Amino acid sequence: MTSLHTVHPAWKGIAACGLVALTLTACGPDTSGEGAAEEAADTDWEDVEPAESIVFATNHPGGSEDQENELIEQFTEDTGIEVEVITSGANYEETSQWFQTGGGSNADVIVLSDATWFPNYLNDALAPVDEILEAADVDVDGYVDALYEDYLYEGSHYGVPYARSTPLFYYNADHYEEAGIDGPPQTWEEVAEISQTIVDEGVADYGYAFPPSNEYPAWGMANLVWGYGGGWSDEWDFSLVSSDETVEALEFAQDAVQDGWANVAATSQTDDFASGVASQTIQSTGSLGGILDTADFEVGTAFLPDGPAAEGETPTGGAGLMIASASSPEEQLAAAMFVGHMTSAESQAFFSEHTGYVPSHVDADMSAVYEEQPQFETAVDQLERARVQDFARVFLPGADLELAETLQSLLTSGDDVAEEMERVEAEFESLYESDLADELED
Amino acid sequence: MTARPREDAPPTPAETTRAAPSPTEAELEAVRKRARRRQASKNWSLFLLFAGPNILLILAFIYYPLVSNMYYSTLDWRLGSPTATPVGLENYQRFFTSPSGLEVWRVTGIFTAGAVIGSMILGLLIALVLNKHIPGRTFARTAIFSPYVLSGVGVALVWMFIFDPQRGALLHILDFFGISSPQWFLDPDANLWMVIIVYVWKNLGYCAVVFLAGLQSVPRDLLEAATIDRAGAIRRFFSITLPLLTPTVFFLLVTNIIFSMTNAFDILRVMTPTGNGTNTIIFEIYLQAFGQYNRAGYSAAIAVVLFVTLFLITAVQLRFVERKVHYQ
Repeated sequence: MTSLHTVHPAWKGIAACGLVALTLTACGPDTSGEGAAEEAADTDWEDVEPAESIVFATNHPGGSEDQENELIEQFTEDTGIEVEVITSGANYEETSQWFQTGGGSNADVIVLSDATWFPNYLNDALAPVDEILEAADVDVDGYVDALYEDYLYEGSHYGVPYARSTPLFYYNADHYEEAGIDGPPQTWEEVAEISQTIVDEGVADYGYAFPPSNEYPAWGMANLVWGYGGGWSDEWDFSLVSSDETVEALEFAQDAVQDGWANVAATSQTDDFASGVASQTIQSTGSLGGILDTADFEVGTAFLPDGPAAEGETPTGGAGLMIASASSPEEQLAAAMFVGHMTSAESQAFFSEHTGYVPSHVDADMSAVYEEQPQFETAVDQLERARVQDFARVFLPGADLELAETLQSLLTSGDDVAEEMERVEAEFESLYESDLADELED
Repeated sequence: MTARPREDAPPTPAETTRAAPSPTEAELEAVRKRARRRQASKNWSLFLLFAGPNILLILAFIYYPLVSNMYYSTLDWRLGSPTATPVGLENYQRFFTSPSGLEVWRVTGIFTAGAVIGSMILGLLIALVLNKHIPGRTFARTAIFSPYVLSGVGVALVWMFIFDPQRGALLHILDFFGISSPQWFLDPDANLWMVIIVYVWKNLGYCAVVFLAGLQSVPRDLLEAATIDRAGAIRRFFSITLPLLTPTVFFLLVTNIIFSMTNAFDILRVMTPTGNGTNTIIFEIYLQAFGQYNRAGYSAAIAVVLFVTLFLITAVQLRFVERKVHYQ
């Protein structure tokens, strides 16, 4: 019999390495190429009873912890299902990171944003909700169409609209009065005219503030490029990002900064607007409360401006509620009931009133809010013009960042827009090929 | 060869009165070996008792993640995905050949050089002042050192207000001198210099305190002798003080390079959230894994490159630079 002492040290080293390798492959992702996710078995939902308790992972969008707790209490009272709440991060990105890295392995319902749910879908971590919602008697027809369609991919929905927002046009009514301007602009051409007047009259340093790269400019400026007939992509076709229409829209924005009637905010367009540096800007509806609190002037709101090719289309934003694919059918059914409760007309009216998010349910009664904050009515009415975002911005990993940095660079320099957008298109193609093509084409 | 008596045979009267026969050399060696083994075993038990828990913790929380990370760096793996594809060294190849990877090296080089040189030169100048008998010296030392122990996030937030090109304090100072404010936050080059300035401000207290300790160990008699020999202040500094400070300079050089490559994350993340022109290697690790791309495998490869880079820098410094150090 060979004792351990007689084994050559090299073999011991190889054995140790082998053991480490085995341990690593056991703990890491599956590299067999066979795919770890099994096809979900068809569930006969009629035979499924809802679980007695579920776990809800949330970042409490808009500081909504108290409101969420109140809605949860109502749900438990109505159904007897207990809901354990986990604070999964301070914002949407952190929540997604938490869920992706295994922290949320026991979560049944999770808050994910328009830009963070798709990687989780690719990870097979989200359940398609259509059948489960039907089993839970949730009426999906009440959701604002564009907000629900945000979660539609390959024929299935992967979430329901919860804490939703859109960009909104804000203007300084005091500056308007001082510069002799009657009312907010309807088109981008009018934005230019008003802004030039404000600067010429010396009312403010700038008539309009564009967002910097850390304030999601590809979201806020989608209305401008759509208005000219352009966009960031047409599903997975990226040629639109370098089209003449997109280039024309961005040249308009670049000229605005070069001509001096607009600036790119250093840290946030909200700060420039609220401090009076700029008289108009586009920012999330969710910022309305903060702007009203900070600004020492009368704040006006308006629909996003029209372009030469389209009427003020409004990109959707914010977050939805998703159901984890790892949960049991009983938990998923209870989760669907919970999701239905949180996004009902009454719950959304309550949630919207306290957070500033737009209600995702068409029947939400917002009259009390309108009395207190008439500006909010514009945000809700504008939902009629809501449009689902382009794939490139929300589904292509890294594309939003690429757009953000390019837009900031273009607006603060005299770089050739067409050349830069062709480079962006090539970058999108490269990102798609390296990070998505294999999985989507499978 | 004599026959050994039977063990069960009763001792003869002569044997009972005579001393036991002296053990052979081999028997003695065996006894000594047993004693040594017992001692070694006792030492090992003690060692394991005291060091074992720490070793286990280090293995579990440092070496296991380190080796795991090396394994993940060979995968094409999206963060959180249950599946991954082995790609060998492709992630490394990509990092060393792609324009974005080369940009990371450029930014890291400028940031490290600026941060290390700035912190050390300013730290030395401040230490020279604080080494004098000036009123309020103790307060000044505390004030200079305090930024080093402040939270990087807090420091970054305060400096964001200072640098704001529309409303910041720096804008008014530059205005006073008729200089227009650079496009901080918007221009990638200005961004990089902005974070270098903040890092140097936060870090120079550490350099100043270490230099001060070094200055106080310079023998006074040497300086006095040089003064008697009519050596001026500059001559005394370059001929006596600086050579005797070389161990301190060496120590600070090593630690500052490592710190600047690994400890600046908080400032970079808060002041430039998307890494516009400030993608140093430590920030790139975060951005690739968590900042939209979700490339866990590629990010792991960059982390391994950072580990190896720091290992090599330290080894080279220990091997070559230390030779130039002038110890007393």
